[in-house]
Amino acid sequence: MRINKKNNKGFMMIEIIIATSIIVIFVLISMSVATKTIAFSRQSFHITQAAFLLEESAEVVRINRDNAWINISGLTASTIYYPTFSGGTWVLSTSPTQVDNFTRTVVMSNVNRDATTSDIAPSGVNDTGTKLFTVTVSWLEGGQTITKTLKFYISDIFSS
Amino acid sequence: MSKKNLKTNRGVSLIETLFYIVLFTMLSIVVINAMITMMKSFKETAVQRELAQSGTIVEIMSREIKKAYDISSLSSTDLVLNTKDELNNNKTVEFVLSGSDLLFKENNVLTGNLNVPNITIIGLTFTQIITTKGKAVKITLSVRSKGDATPNTENFYDTIVLRGNY
Repeated sequence: MRINKKNNKGFMMIEIIIATSIIVIFVLISMSVATKTIAFSRQSFHITQAAFLLEESAEVVRINRDNAWINISGLTASTIYYPTFSGGTWVLSTSPTQVDNFTRTVVMSNVNRDATTSDIAPSGVNDTGTKLFTVTVSWLEGGQTITKTLKFYISDIFSS
Repeated sequence: MSKKNLKTNRGVSLIETLFYIVLFTMLSIVVINAMITMMKSFKETAVQRELAQSGTIVEIMSREIKKAYDISSLSSTDLVLNTKDELNNNKTVEFVLSGSDLLFKENNVLTGNLNVPNITIIGLTFTQIITTKGKAVKITLSVRSKGDATPNTENFYDTIVLRGNY
């Protein structure tokens, strides 16, 4: 009788331990999911901010084009430029700048047109009135760098 | 009943009880910690969502500035744009910071607040940029969420060229 009672007690304890560990594991998993959720919602907020910075970079190129086409055609292809606000307007500078934790770059590339169709093509005649711009916004998120890129063509619509 | 037997039995059950009490205490500390972390993260997620929502404010301003053909007046926290309505009649659109709210006015009539009640506008700066072909507006918007325990200020930056005149 006594032996039986003791055995029973031990068995109950094991049951309780198993049940408790299942609950603890469940709670810990939920916690890690919740923690991941914070990281993702922060990241998605930063992507929202980056979208506006990308739009701004594109407008910076447009402002430079509106001022004079030489601001665009005078850039060196494949060189990294940084949008800088100076003297009441936006200029493209070669010295790195940062907005909060975001780094913005602007790279210009030349555009070639097919000799017969006049369409933009990988090789052909260089079009001096059109340039391809690649703007990027990059930032550090949880130890790794995230980069968002926007590509667009800009044309010399005011000179001729 | 021997005295020895009773004593042995009691000793083992006491150590066992102690062991389990310590074990369960540790487990409950872990569980309570996890619960607190989870509650915090749900709150944080809500705050982040509100902040991301306030990006809509910049989106609205950007759309209105693109449509406008001229700047009527511009101060650091007050921007009045000359623009056209659907029937091509002239109208004005105004964005003005009033306390911690951003007001949107059409033809000087208040349409409403652009920020949701939980969002406080900490700072707003409009800067005019004049180009050879027109004008542009540089916007800096700083927002904060009321539900945020550690008040983080988040910034939005944008620059928009007025396209109504192109």
